[in-house]
Amino acid sequence: MRVPRRRRWVVAVPMAALALATVYPLVFTANVAMKSRRDYILDRFSPADSLRWENIATAWTSVGLGRYFVNSVVVVASAVALLLLIGSMAGFALSHLRFRGSRALFLCFLAALFVPFQVVMVPLAQVMADTGLIDTYPGLILAYVAQFLPFSIFLMTSYYSGIPREIVDAARVDGNTLYGVYRRIMLPIGRPALLSVGILNALFCWNDVLISLLMMPSAEHRTLMVGVTSLRGQYSDDIPTFASGVLIAALPVLVIYLFFQRQIADGITAGATKG
Amino acid sequence: MVAPAVLVVATLRLWPLLLGVNYSFTGDGARDGVPVGLDNYAELFDDPLFRTALENVGLLVLLLPVAVAVPGMLATFIFLRVPGHRLFRSVYFFPAVLSPVIVGAIFNLLLAFDGPLNSLLEKAGIGAVDWLGDPDVAMFTVVGVHVWATFGMALVVFLAGFSTLDTTLLDAARVDGASLARVIRHVIVPGLSRTIQFVFVTTMIGMLTSMFGLLYVMTSGGPEGSTYLPEYYIWIQQGQMNRPALASAASTVLFLIMLVVGLAQIGLLRRAGREN
Repeated sequence: MRVPRRRRWVVAVPMAALALATVYPLVFTANVAMKSRRDYILDRFSPADSLRWENIATAWTSVGLGRYFVNSVVVVASAVALLLLIGSMAGFALSHLRFRGSRALFLCFLAALFVPFQVVMVPLAQVMADTGLIDTYPGLILAYVAQFLPFSIFLMTSYYSGIPREIVDAARVDGNTLYGVYRRIMLPIGRPALLSVGILNALFCWNDVLISLLMMPSAEHRTLMVGVTSLRGQYSDDIPTFASGVLIAALPVLVIYLFFQRQIADGITAGATKG
Repeated sequence: MVAPAVLVVATLRLWPLLLGVNYSFTGDGARDGVPVGLDNYAELFDDPLFRTALENVGLLVLLLPVAVAVPGMLATFIFLRVPGHRLFRSVYFFPAVLSPVIVGAIFNLLLAFDGPLNSLLEKAGIGAVDWLGDPDVAMFTVVGVHVWATFGMALVVFLAGFSTLDTTLLDAARVDGASLARVIRHVIVPGLSRTIQFVFVTTMIGMLTSMFGLLYVMTSGGPEGSTYLPEYYIWIQQGQMNRPALASAASTVLFLIMLVVGLAQIGLLRRAGREN
């Protein structure tokens, strides 16, 4: 069914306006990032007359965003690797190995999915402090793994459930150990789901500010998003540098979105509709 | 195979949950670890900041239908293939992948008192609005920005719901000459009741748990504490005031609110579904 021809444009025009309102703030920011400070004060909306990469360089070096960027990459990459490993192992076990209490265990993970970080953050910080993990990379990585693992398990389990048991049984008959089946069969078969889970977790971890603010109090351990929040006070009179910092933090996400739009949307809806 | 997962989830999620409820009945500072009964809860409800946070939760509940209806309508039109529907789909969704910190920083820039939006408003003769500095306006501004950033997420979920809709019903309604408004009311809404229910619950949870970045960057709870939400209050008590027990009590309240909101919505929508 379609919208009647005459009315189509009545709908499409406001929708196009909304699309513009969705994109424009980022375009505006990117434009400001390329302007000189003087230009911005004189006219906020005019296009930048030349691309001033020096604003980006200032944000990267003198504000120290470069360092925070590297911190973020290290932490996010480790967390995602762990999430993929632990999540796919659990997904395989919960979907194909019938053991006592496997159903109850799955429900436990599902319940953990609905406990938001804000509810556990105070005691979690306490546990991390007691074990000496607060303000260390492993501490933050573990906090991310704990936060996003239930979601990863959920997606991996529902993906692996669609794979016939016969494949696993045949591989066992051929003399594979359980870990052999996991490594030789489940990991390769699971690639589309692993891609979805990996991308989504990378976005979640990269975009987080609350967990990293809580787990990494000291300045040199800051992640990029926390670094961006500190720009505001420091560069309130230098808007182009501020906008450059925002652009540096947004760019990796935009690139991932351009390439993996489908996987991101599918991952989110798989979480939504199969629940 | 599941052992690592069990270890992580049990020690770093479920155990802290219990620990937190337990903390909330003990004292802070000099009374650290001492059982104090309901003292923290009494202090919480006496605190004007926490009361504002709860009032703001009420405001979110009131604004919730708007936050669900907008993506619902947009998804309907995309599903009915208005010109440019593919482009709209990906454009609308893209802010949903940005960090609240980035979104907040961008809107700080746009909504500053001497910023671009106000300079446009002044040129148009409307006059500047203190978007983030006026206690009566700031919370609406932040919620508006949150909706701007997240409606694409709900939209994608709606579209997934549409793909399960029985198209023969739509065609039958079309043959019978039903108007678009009637098709939406009598075919699409009942057919999507499960999706609508899901979007209601997840949008509310999103409002309660993922506005921290926006609040932190855009208003820091101000002006005059008008933009507090329970999650921000928890952070302030834990991170700034060093009151973990009080923060735990606030966490427990937040958890209960989420439980109640979720269950109430499911109940309401189930009843509404039966009447249809």
